[in-house]
Amino acid sequence: MTHRFRTLRSLFPISRSGTPRAAFLGSSWPAKMAAPVGKAARGWSVLALGLRSVVPRLPGLTQVRWSRYGPEYRDPQIDKEYYRKPLAELTEEEKYEQELRKIQLIKAAPAAKTSSVFEDPVISKFTNMMMKGGNKVLARSLMTQTLEAVKRKQFEKYHAASAQEQATIERNPYTIFHQALKNCEPVIGLVPILRGGHFYQVPVPLPDRRRRFLAMKWMITECREKKHRRMLMPEKLSHELLEAFHNQGPVVKKKQDMHKMAEANRALAHYRWW
Amino acid sequence: MAAPCVFCGAAASYRFFLGGRVSLARKQGVWKAAAAELQTGTGFQILRLRHTTGVTTKKNVAALRHEAYTVDFIKKQIEEFNIGKRHLANMMGEDPETFTQEDIDRAIAYLFPSGLFEKQARPIMKHPEQIFPKQRAIQWGEDGRPFHFLFYTGKQSYYSLMHEAYGKLLEAEKHQNQLQAKGLFSEKTKTKDLIGSRWLIKEELEEMLVEKLSDQDYAQFIRLLERLLTLHCGAKEEFVQRFRRSITVQSKKQLIEALQYDEQGTAFSTSEGKRKSAKAEAVVYEHGSGKISINGIDYLLYFPVTQDREQLMFPFHFLDRLGKHDATCTVSGGGRSSQAGAIRLALARALCSFITEEEVEWMRQAGLLTADPRVRERKKPGQEGARRKFTWKKR
Repeated sequence: MTHRFRTLRSLFPISRSGTPRAAFLGSSWPAKMAAPVGKAARGWSVLALGLRSVVPRLPGLTQVRWSRYGPEYRDPQIDKEYYRKPLAELTEEEKYEQELRKIQLIKAAPAAKTSSVFEDPVISKFTNMMMKGGNKVLARSLMTQTLEAVKRKQFEKYHAASAQEQATIERNPYTIFHQALKNCEPVIGLVPILRGGHFYQVPVPLPDRRRRFLAMKWMITECREKKHRRMLMPEKLSHELLEAFHNQGPVVKKKQDMHKMAEANRALAHYRWW
Repeated sequence: MAAPCVFCGAAASYRFFLGGRVSLARKQGVWKAAAAELQTGTGFQILRLRHTTGVTTKKNVAALRHEAYTVDFIKKQIEEFNIGKRHLANMMGEDPETFTQEDIDRAIAYLFPSGLFEKQARPIMKHPEQIFPKQRAIQWGEDGRPFHFLFYTGKQSYYSLMHEAYGKLLEAEKHQNQLQAKGLFSEKTKTKDLIGSRWLIKEELEEMLVEKLSDQDYAQFIRLLERLLTLHCGAKEEFVQRFRRSITVQSKKQLIEALQYDEQGTAFSTSEGKRKSAKAEAVVYEHGSGKISINGIDYLLYFPVTQDREQLMFPFHFLDRLGKHDATCTVSGGGRSSQAGAIRLALARALCSFITEEEVEWMRQAGLLTADPRVRERKKPGQEGARRKFTWKKR
């Protein structure tokens, strides 16, 4: 998404000057202070950076994000197998898409993505979420140590178990990771909606990407906060992942609490208008 | 008072006038016939309105003010341009007959070198059609009656175009109904070259009609044309093609480096790459064992981080040529990640000389051949960083 407009924010009453707090507290003096600064900054940045594309000025929507690529640039398709498919196997749609892509301008591939078989988009996303202050090296090493720890624990269990149990023990750390995150994904979420001066927690179905995000966020927050000071992140994270894989543990409990709250508030479901 | 464009008026209004005369004949009004006669009688005389009301006189004056370039004036300019072109060709020692616009541009740039940054402020010599804006003739006759039947809509060319297009749509539907009734209707979908062309944009349509349009008008027109396209009538294709412009195929724009040969006879190819402030140059040899050396140091020692080495490997792995090429790179500037990105781009570009055009297109679609335009955003005054604002304090 190259241009994101302030549409969702327009649902809540926020003054044009800036922070939501200014609207609620109704203080005009700092708002006046902030307004020219904010507007000047925004106006400056729009002019100085030289917007590549001319976006139609729609009334009531201010442009918040832009990118160095124009809106005509498409995301790259990195999967090697997509290109190696012989012509006979392609459907009509795919052929049309391929023809279309020859005309389109394509963005550069990001620095963290390759066509390597060892790369996993979920792992990359999780690593980025774990990263603090741009320290990708550390985040990635923590991730690899976590996966190694998971594998070691599973192998220990495997070697200690009997023949029947060995068949049930999963040793691939990637499958464990994916399954654990899937078990942590909530199906329904709560959204605060303002009605008659009060905020009600309304149950709302969540889109896929929000669910994945919440699962990862809960996992990371849980591991950061609820661990012993001396314990290292990989150890704690591998423990939590294994628990989530077996549908136990605090993250899955949090998901179930969220579901219970949504069930309790189901009377408010009609407040949702989308 | 500048004389109105007589020829333009006569030529353009003649068409309208003919139509007007046909409708006039039907009306059989005495005074209208008299007015028509008056017009034909005066002939090349001024097609000036002689309105008595103050409002229309003002309108008249306003129209005259815009009507700054008469047909005579434009013709004179064109003649002067052609003569000037021949003089210029003689000056440059070239053949006046085959002197194209690019030659003119080059000659002017040579004779009048300008250091101005704004390209449009530099001296230009172009055909008057491109310099003087297209304008409309006066749309009404001496008696004040407009020539076009849609004049009072305000956007006569646009509405007449819509009228025409809708007429064609109705014809196509009728034709289709007839075919269906006869049972000859075939569901074959002729997909014309919809991908290689695009609809003309609003500005282009405005230029074509010499009229200002709104976004909704333009959208409506495009929707009508698309409806016309869905009916698959062969006769209407040319009408629709008038409003399509072709797009260049992106893959043709790639610059493929020529292969060079060193003393032993092995082929190699050199290329450059950039990312943020890092600049890299890569030399890829055709036969090798996958050794990459950067600034004289082995890639394993130069890039201790796995992510950077994966970036170096990316173009080779994508083309299934992992252990088959040797590369020597030099890089400077930037940080660890941007140096890796710059080398990746340089390697991808150098590899283009060894692979087929199809594979070049694949690489382009995978984003390997695009230079990443993202740079560090500057810090703005009144803010702490590029985006971060100062802490909001209530008082």
